[in-house]
Amino acid sequence: MFDFILSRYNYWIYIILMMIGLYAMIGKKNLIKKIIGMNIFQTAIILFFISTAAKRGGTLPIIEHAHGAHPIQAASYVNPLPHVLMLTAIVVMVSTLGVALAIVIAIYRRYNTLEEDEILNLKR
Amino acid sequence: MRALNLFAVIITGIILIYGTQDMPDWADPRSPASTHVSPRYIEKTLEETATPNAVTSVLADYRGYDTLGETTVIFAAGISCILILRARRQER
Amino acid sequence: MIAAFDLILLLFVLICAVAALSVKDLLSAVIILGAYSFFMCLLWAEMGAVDVAFTEASVSAGIGTVLFIAAVSKTKRRSKD
Repeated sequence: MFDFILSRYNYWIYIILMMIGLYAMIGKKNLIKKIIGMNIFQTAIILFFISTAAKRGGTLPIIEHAHGAHPIQAASYVNPLPHVLMLTAIVVMVSTLGVALAIVIAIYRRYNTLEEDEILNLKR
Repeated sequence: MRALNLFAVIITGIILIYGTQDMPDWADPRSPASTHVSPRYIEKTLEETATPNAVTSVLADYRGYDTLGETTVIFAAGISCILILRARRQER
Repeated sequence: MIAAFDLILLLFVLICAVAALSVKDLLSAVIILGAYSFFMCLLWAEMGAVDVAFTEASVSAGIGTVLFIAAVSKTKRRSKD
């Protein structure tokens, strides 16, 4: 039982982080707070994917034996594939952040407020 | 309304935590994610691309089209930022 | 992958996430989010993903914080929740 908890607690903390972000996205009224929640959500997902790449006893994925003296053992290097995919995901995260902040600035110029309920009252 | 939000979030969390009991152990070298395709990248990267860093060789050589698509995403984001902010200014 | 180091960093990340969402001043929230990104970057460097840690430190903690500060300075700084 203790072993089970020790091998799973990372996943639970990622899920708690993701729940914090999800609650901020659907529960907070301020638009900037919603975007901060989206950032936390995306970072938690990226953290989960990076953690699937980790190997116990593995080093960085930079190959040292340049001259073929020893055969390369795949188990002694960290999995490089999730790193590459998450590198792309971080850049996409910042792109969505930029577009969302531009939309927030446009909303502020039109309605002169950032609170969601006030915007809905003004529209009515 | 606040209670409803909290309820939805906690239900989602409980379902996800229930799903983690079938996940492989954390940092297990024999998990399916690290035995299927990535050993080939690690073993062949030096002789096929002459790059010691496996992340760089996968990013730029094996999966170069992904990086091309990423560049397209950044371009679209920049163009849409300019369009959103400028259209509002012309309306004033 | 030292378990104690990992646990301490995860705890800091959780504290930063809760603090960034519960602070009423938006500029403070944005700065705490920058600290969150740096703790996340340390966590990834500790897991062996140095390239992702580089990218996170430069792109998300740098450019992201700059974009947030620009948006907050163009709009209001106070928030109700």
